[in-house]
Amino acid sequence: MPHRYIKIGLTVVVLGVAFSGMLWSTLREGTEYFKNVDEVINEQHVWQGKRVQLHGYVVPGTWVQRPNTLDYKFKVQNNPARGTMPGGVVEASYTGLLPDTFKDEAEVVLKGSFGPNGFRVEKDGVMAKCPSKYEAASKSASSGS
Amino acid sequence: MASLGSFLLLASFVVCSYAAAVSVVGARRRSRRLIESGIGSFYLVCALMSCASAVMINAFLTSDFSIKYVDHYSDSVQPLFYKITSYWGGLDGSIMFWVFLLSVFGSVAVYVNRERYRELIPYVVATISGVQMFFLYLMIVHRNPFTTYLAEAPAEGQGLNPLLQNFYMAIHPPSLYIGFVGMTIPFAFGIAALITGHLDDSWLRAVRRWTMTAWLFLSIGLFLGMIWAYEELGWGGYWMWDPVENAALLPWFTATAFLHSVMVQERRSMLRVWNVTLVITTFFLTIFGTFMTRSGVVQSVHAFGDDPILARLFVMFMVVILTGSFGLVIYRLPLLKARNELDSWASREAAFMVNNWILLFAAMFVLFGTMFPTLSEAITGTRLTVAAPFFNKWMAPVGLVLLLLTGTGPLLAWRKSTLKNLRDQFLWPATAALVTAGAIVALRIPFWASGLCFALCGFVTGTIVQEFWRGGKIRRKNTGTDMITAIIGLVGRNKRRYGGYIVHVAVVLICLGFAGNGARKDLQVLLQPGQEATVGRYTIRNTGVKVTDDGQKQMVTAHLAVFQNGKQIDTLYPAKWFFRKHEQEPTTEVAIRRTLAEDLYIAMAAPPKLQDQSASIEIFVNPLVNWIWIGFGVLAIGTGIALLPERAYSFAIAKLPAEAAAATIALLIILCTGPAAFAQSQQHGMGGPPVTGSDVQTSYYPRTPLERQLQHEIVCTCGTCGHANIAECRKDPCGTSHQMRGELAALIDQNKAHDEIIQWFVTKYGSQEMLGAPLDKGFSRMAWLFPYLVGATGAVALGFAAVRWSRHSAAADAPPPLDAEIDERIDDELRDLD
Repeated sequence: MPHRYIKIGLTVVVLGVAFSGMLWSTLREGTEYFKNVDEVINEQHVWQGKRVQLHGYVVPGTWVQRPNTLDYKFKVQNNPARGTMPGGVVEASYTGLLPDTFKDEAEVVLKGSFGPNGFRVEKDGVMAKCPSKYEAASKSASSGS
Repeated sequence: MASLGSFLLLASFVVCSYAAAVSVVGARRRSRRLIESGIGSFYLVCALMSCASAVMINAFLTSDFSIKYVDHYSDSVQPLFYKITSYWGGLDGSIMFWVFLLSVFGSVAVYVNRERYRELIPYVVATISGVQMFFLYLMIVHRNPFTTYLAEAPAEGQGLNPLLQNFYMAIHPPSLYIGFVGMTIPFAFGIAALITGHLDDSWLRAVRRWTMTAWLFLSIGLFLGMIWAYEELGWGGYWMWDPVENAALLPWFTATAFLHSVMVQERRSMLRVWNVTLVITTFFLTIFGTFMTRSGVVQSVHAFGDDPILARLFVMFMVVILTGSFGLVIYRLPLLKARNELDSWASREAAFMVNNWILLFAAMFVLFGTMFPTLSEAITGTRLTVAAPFFNKWMAPVGLVLLLLTGTGPLLAWRKSTLKNLRDQFLWPATAALVTAGAIVALRIPFWASGLCFALCGFVTGTIVQEFWRGGKIRRKNTGTDMITAIIGLVGRNKRRYGGYIVHVAVVLICLGFAGNGARKDLQVLLQPGQEATVGRYTIRNTGVKVTDDGQKQMVTAHLAVFQNGKQIDTLYPAKWFFRKHEQEPTTEVAIRRTLAEDLYIAMAAPPKLQDQSASIEIFVNPLVNWIWIGFGVLAIGTGIALLPERAYSFAIAKLPAEAAAATIALLIILCTGPAAFAQSQQHGMGGPPVTGSDVQTSYYPRTPLERQLQHEIVCTCGTCGHANIAECRKDPCGTSHQMRGELAALIDQNKAHDEIIQWFVTKYGSQEMLGAPLDKGFSRMAWLFPYLVGATGAVALGFAAVRWSRHSAAADAPPPLDAEIDERIDDELRDLD
C-alpha cells in the first residue's frame, strides 16, 4: 500500500510542478498591466517596452488621420474632458481600423507599449466603450447566462 | 397591472416557502397527505409564475411605459416579436424568466417521476423550491421587474438595442436559460438522494435524461451565441473568451464530464462520490456564472453593471449551496464507497476518468482565467488582465487531448484490455490517423498549427466508423438482415451509445472548424474607389459607397467586387447602419461569401468617409468555419437520438428480419422522399392556385419566371420570420414581405434585368442582408438554421416514423424484450469475440 501512495504522491507532485511552471510562464507573457493615464504619466520610462492596457478618454479635437492611410494619432487623458480635473495627457499612435464607438471623449482602453514617440497601440488594440452602449449591451449579456 | 405582477411574485414566494416546508415535514413524518400538498403547491408556483409572465408580456404588448423595465427595453414602434422577447432582454426580467422556466421544468420533472421515485420527490420539491425562493427573494426585495415610475410615466420607451433586434439573439438567451435551469433538476435529485440515503444508482437513471436535455440546450445556446457574434459583431471571429461567454461554457464542461462518468457508475459502480460532486459543481457553476455576469465582479464588454447588493446576496446563496451540498456528501461518504477498483489503466473506465479530469481542469482553468483580473487586483492591488491568446494557448492542447480520448475511449474494453484486443481495436483508427498525417505533410499544411488536429480527427473518425461497422456486422449475422437495417437496429438497441458516437462525429466536425482557424487571413485596408486589395485567393475592388435611408435608419453601403484569377465571381455589400435614437452605435452588417472550404468575410469599419467614397474595411478569409455550424447540427441529431424513447426503434430490433428490413427501407424512402415531396408541394403551391386579378394585386404572385426566381432569392427583412424568402413569407400576414414583393413587381414591370434588380434592392435595403442568393449557392444561410432545422425535423421525423412502425411490428409478435443492460452486455461481448 505505501508503495501505491508514493506513486500517487509523485504523480501529483510532477503534475503540479508542470502545471504551475506552465502557468507561470504563460502568465508572464500573456498578462498585461491595466493602468490609468495618470498612473503612468510621470514614469513613462518605467513602462517602456512593457505591455500595458492604458485606460483613458480621447481628448476632443486631437484625433487626426494621415490621408489615404489607416494611420491615426490621438491624445488620451485621465478624465473626461468635461470633468473637473482632466489630468495628464498621453499621445498615442495607431495603424488599423478604429471601432465604431471611437470618437471625441470616448472612454478607451489601449493595448500597446510606450516608445520614444508616445504610446504605440498594437494591432486591434483599441477598445472603446460608450456609456450608452455599455448599458444597452448589457442586454446581450443576459444571453450569456 | 404592475401591482398585480408584484403581487403574483409575492404569492409565488409564499407558496414556494410553503411547498418547501411542507415537503420536508411530510417526508420526515412519512405523511402522504403533506407530501401531496407540497407537490400541489409546487405546481401552483408554476401557475402563478405563468400568470406573472403573462402580465409582463401584456405590459410589453400594450407598451405600458409606467413600468420602468418596459420603458427601458421597449418602445411603441418595436416589432411585435421583439416586444415579446424583450421580456428576457434585461436583468430583472431575465431573473423572472429564469424562475418561470425553473417552475415549468421542475413541475414536469416532479410530475414524470412522482410515482417511480416516491422517496426522493419531497426533497426534490424542497430543493427546487429553495432555489426558486432565492430568485424570487432577489426580485421582491431588490430587483422587481414590475417597479413603476413614481411620478409621471414617460410617453415613449427607450427601445431595445439594435444589435439585439436580431432573430438569433432573441432565441439564444432562452436556449441558454433552459440549459442552465435544466441543470437544477439533476442537482435536486442528487440532494434528495443524499438526504434520504437512497444512493443506489436509481437517482442517476432519473437525472440522466434531464442532464442530456439541458446539455443539448446549453450546446445550442452556445452555438447561437457564436453564430450571432460571427454574423453581427463584425470582428471576423466567433469566440473571444469574454467572461459572459465563459460563464456559459463552465457548466457545459462539467455536464459533459458527468454524461461520461455516469456510464462508469452504471457499469462498474465506481466514481460515486465523483458523480454527485459533478452534479453539484455543474449546478453551482450555473449560479456562479449568473453571479459573475450580473454583479459587476468581472468586467466585460457585455456584462451587467455594478450591483454590490446583488453580489452580496449571490455570495450568500453560493456559500449555502456549497456548504450544504458538500456537507451532505461528506456525511454520506460511507454510503458512497465504490464497489470496485480500477483494474487497469488500459480500460474504458480509466479513459473516462482521464477525460473527466481534463474536462474538470478545463472548467477550472477557464474559471481561473476569467477571475484572474479580479483575483490579481484583490491580491496584488494591480489589475492584471489576460486575453484570448492566453486562453487559446492553454485550451488548444486541452482540446487536442480530449479529441484523442474521444477516439481512444470507445476502443478500450471495460475492466481491462488485453494486448491482443488493443492491437485489433487500434489497427484501423491508427492507420486512419497516419494516412491523414501523411496527407498533411504531403500537402505542406503546418503540422503544429492545425495538422495535428486533422490527424486526430482522422483517428476519431476511424474509431467511429469501425464501431458502427463491427457492431453492424455482428447484428447482421444475428438477425439476417441487410447492413443498413442492422446498423439502424444497432442504434436502436443502444441509442445512448450510438447517439453518443454521432455526437463524437459532431465533435470531429467542430474541431475541423477550429483547426481551420490556424490558417486564417486578415487584412485591414482603406480602399479608394477603384482601388484593390488582395487576400488569399481573392481580390477585392471598391466600386463605390452609397448612402440610403429607410426612415428607421441611415445605411452606408460599400459595393465591393470580388475577383478570383482575374474573373469577377461575386459582389459583396458590407454596410453600416445608423438607427434613429441609436446613431452613436452603428451596427455592422457584414458581407460573407460562404463555401464549405472557406468564408470570405468583409466588415466595414466606421466612420466611413463619404466625401471621397473611400471605404475602410477589414477582410477575413476564414477556412472551414462552416463545419462548426454543421457540427452543431450533427450534435443536435446525435443527442436527439440518444434521447428518443425506448420503443422508438423496436421495429428494427424485431425478431422478424424480413419485416424489419421492409420497415427500414420504407422508413428510408419516407425520409428521403419527404423533403423532395415537400419542395414539390412548395413549388406547386407557388404556381398552383388559379388567381383572380385582385389576388395578383394583393399578394403579388409571380407572373414571370424571373419574378419567381427573384422572389426566392430575396429574403424578407422583417427579422422575425427567420430569413424566409419573400415568396415563402407570403403565408404569414407579413407587411414587409408584401411591400418587398410589390417593389419587385414594379421593377419587373419596368423590364429591369436580374442584376439591376438585385442592385436596386441592395441599395434600398442597405446591405446584402436581403439577398437569399447564397441559398442558391448551396449552403450559406442554411448554417443559420442548421441545427434547429436538421436536429428537430430529422429527430422528430425519425422518432415519429419509428414509433409508428414499431407499433406494427410489436403487434406482429415479439418475445418479451430483454433487459436493456443485459442486451448491451451481450452486444459488447459479441463484439469482443468477433
